[in-house]
Amino acid sequence: MELSWEIILMQVIMGLALGAIYVLLASGLSIIFGLLDVLNFAHGTFYMLGAYATFVAISLCGNFWVGIIAAVVIVSLIGALFEMTLLKRLYGTDQIYPLLMCFGLSIFLPDIIKMIFGLVGKVVDYPSLLQGATFVDNLILPKYRIFLVVLMAVVLLALYLFMKKTSIGMIIRAATRDRLMVNCLGINVSRVWTVGFMLGVGLAALAGAVAAPMVQTIPNMGDEMTIEAFVVVVIGGLGSLGGAALGGLILGQVVSFVSLLAPDWSNVSIFLTMALILVLRPRGLFGEEGRD
Amino acid sequence: MLLQTNGVCKYFGGLKAVDQVDFSIEQGKLKSIIGPNGAGKTTFFNLVSGLYKPTHGQVTFQGKDVSHASMNERSQLGITKTYQITSIFPRLSVFENVRLSAQSRVSMFNSWRKAYSYSAMNNRTMEILEHVGLADQQGRTASELSHGEKRYLEIGIALATEPTILLLDEPTAGMSPAETVEATHLIRKLSNELKLTIILIEHDISVVMGISDEVMVLHEGKKLAEDTPEKISANETVQNVYLGKGAEPCSR
Amino acid sequence: MNAKKQTNEVAAYKPHSWQTALEFRAMWAVLALGIVLPFLVSKPLATEIMIYALFALAFNLLLGHTGMISFGHAGYLGVGSYAGAMVVFYGGVGVWVSLLAAMAGGALVAAVVGLLAVKRKGAYFAMISLAIAQMLYFLALSPFKRWTEGEDSLKLPPLSVDFPFHLNLSDQTQLYFFVFVIVALAVLAQWRLLNSPFGHALKGIRENEDRIRACGFNITRIKFLSIIYSGLFSGLAGGLLAIYLGAASVTTLFWMTSGVVVMQTVLGGTHTFMGPFIGTMVFLYLRNNISNYTDRWEMWVGAMFMALILLFPEGIWGTVMQKIGERRRPSAS
Repeated sequence: MELSWEIILMQVIMGLALGAIYVLLASGLSIIFGLLDVLNFAHGTFYMLGAYATFVAISLCGNFWVGIIAAVVIVSLIGALFEMTLLKRLYGTDQIYPLLMCFGLSIFLPDIIKMIFGLVGKVVDYPSLLQGATFVDNLILPKYRIFLVVLMAVVLLALYLFMKKTSIGMIIRAATRDRLMVNCLGINVSRVWTVGFMLGVGLAALAGAVAAPMVQTIPNMGDEMTIEAFVVVVIGGLGSLGGAALGGLILGQVVSFVSLLAPDWSNVSIFLTMALILVLRPRGLFGEEGRD
Repeated sequence: MLLQTNGVCKYFGGLKAVDQVDFSIEQGKLKSIIGPNGAGKTTFFNLVSGLYKPTHGQVTFQGKDVSHASMNERSQLGITKTYQITSIFPRLSVFENVRLSAQSRVSMFNSWRKAYSYSAMNNRTMEILEHVGLADQQGRTASELSHGEKRYLEIGIALATEPTILLLDEPTAGMSPAETVEATHLIRKLSNELKLTIILIEHDISVVMGISDEVMVLHEGKKLAEDTPEKISANETVQNVYLGKGAEPCSR
Repeated sequence: MNAKKQTNEVAAYKPHSWQTALEFRAMWAVLALGIVLPFLVSKPLATEIMIYALFALAFNLLLGHTGMISFGHAGYLGVGSYAGAMVVFYGGVGVWVSLLAAMAGGALVAAVVGLLAVKRKGAYFAMISLAIAQMLYFLALSPFKRWTEGEDSLKLPPLSVDFPFHLNLSDQTQLYFFVFVIVALAVLAQWRLLNSPFGHALKGIRENEDRIRACGFNITRIKFLSIIYSGLFSGLAGGLLAIYLGAASVTTLFWMTSGVVVMQTVLGGTHTFMGPFIGTMVFLYLRNNISNYTDRWEMWVGAMFMALILLFPEGIWGTVMQKIGERRRPSAS
């Protein structure tokens, strides 16, 4: 097949859009892991909830943008509820128990959704503002994909500012490094954890919400995304937000091009990329010593 | 010289925890390292035991350069350390604590024989428990021992690795005065009877002066003095830095 | 002290804890149950229980005994299954060779996982193992479809055993006892393994990894060996699975298989020897019965599992042992 510049650029853009989803997901996972030392096995489940909540919200209010915001807020609250009632009790025990609790949720919730909404995929329409594409020379630039890239950049910038400039952000960063110290400073670490979990889950929900028009909204859509989010975090290096972002972008490009050139291998390419990077850099791109 | 360090340094960023320390110990001797808090004693210890690798300089054991050998490699060579904060196997029996350590010299990978069928190893375990006075407690769960008894178990676990040189990190930490006297006697006894070479870190000067062949004083990462206990306690610089001005020289 | 006194002392101590003794008896009790199992439940269910119980024990070798969380065990089971099936399908070999190939397949995948991730801690290892297993799933599904038949499963002809005596494996009863004997031998082998010097080293790693490293044990190599053993036994379970199903199927490689074995193991008790076996029996029995009444099996399982983690994290057998331990304490000095 002839690879003209236009086609390559198109794939890059598609890859960036896909990467945006990965980055949102992986950032959330990385925050939760960095702060709580919990591997959120239900991360994809919250992604799925984000998509379904968007569907419901839009059905109720008719507006895409309101729908997304409402969805993210609602799912974040569900996450907070989960963390406060169930997950919190398991901190400090064997590392596997919080992990298993999340895993249990990842089996429980999709079935509830299946019960409520059935197996047939729900359809979420593109917002009218972003339907179709703009045409620049020979390039077809799908508006929604461009939006995703912009959204990712905005979110990353917001996260950066939040972590570095706001007091809550600084507390979260401190608590990630040294929980005991933060506790000694009189800060309610427990609340910090809940906020952190909400933030992580909110990012996953946002990923699901904006992915909804593009993918099949089915109860099990989150399961594979959990695994892919893991791969991104492993590639980027545990404990590194920047790594998660870079890993997500890389993976987006890999999947985009492999889907074009060797579609049979598109699913496998994700893991091969991970394996390759691990061989070259066993701790991931920006992995920190002692974190793994 | 059984073990020596040559100009060994350990820098953590800008902090020179250990700076150009030359140290040596002959076979069969008991040598102590003293110094105020932050002097670098534990860091130096860890350079010898293998937890840290030197930033500069060398650690030589039996003529071989072991500066970059890992901890378990050094253990297999014969350098064994104990821990300042007791580190035993809490839910295992006293017997198993020592036996497991002894097993490191016999087999790590045999996946078929019954572990308790090595009678030589079992006998050796009981011997060591006798040495440290825990033989009658061998069936008890290790976490149930008193603090002092745990410190003895700590030494027992170290002995089980058939060390050529034993590094004791504040062995009397947390012990009562009576227990400290007993432990001191035990350490000297081990040195004499088992012909062990021992390097000791201690805070308690009386322990150190009573049993050491030689003493090295560290201060802010550097070696201040290295001599017999009498000469060290008479050394004015050491007195100022560590013992405080006007302190009485310690008697044996 | 004289030699005679030493020997008497050695004979006097009881090195085996009461837990070891109890697990030993539990093992024989469960194996005895296995002899009558096909007459208590349906033969296919009994066979499945045996196979998955072996898988769970293999899994727990890594989780409970070595302390490494693996979410990719489907990889060992699945590759074992395919390896066993392929040598029969393409090579025409017999059942025994098939099982050997299955074990080799499982061990090979384990070696790859180990080389990539043995030094990584908990969460990291879990993620890498999951990723590798999922990669194998996708490989079997599509790019390697030519050899694995992808979604259609690699179907096997009717099988029989000729050595040491003839068994027709299409007969459910004969199949069950064939599987049972192999599983029983594997269980006994694992018992030996855990009571060997290697097994004791594993216990030391669990109790105090730092200290045992200082004693001279090569932790990395020991963990690597543990991963290999886990893959080996899982592969064996996979080979038996292929024989039982008459096919190697991609679903075996799907991550849910890893998830299920985790649940079965934790249900029984990850800090015990027989826990995973017992957990598998209970889990599969429940699944078989509850699925008849409701479509919402996943919902119930998820909810039950979350409750289990909160209330009885030691699992069925683990909690039983815990209670026994508590009752023994007043009588101990």
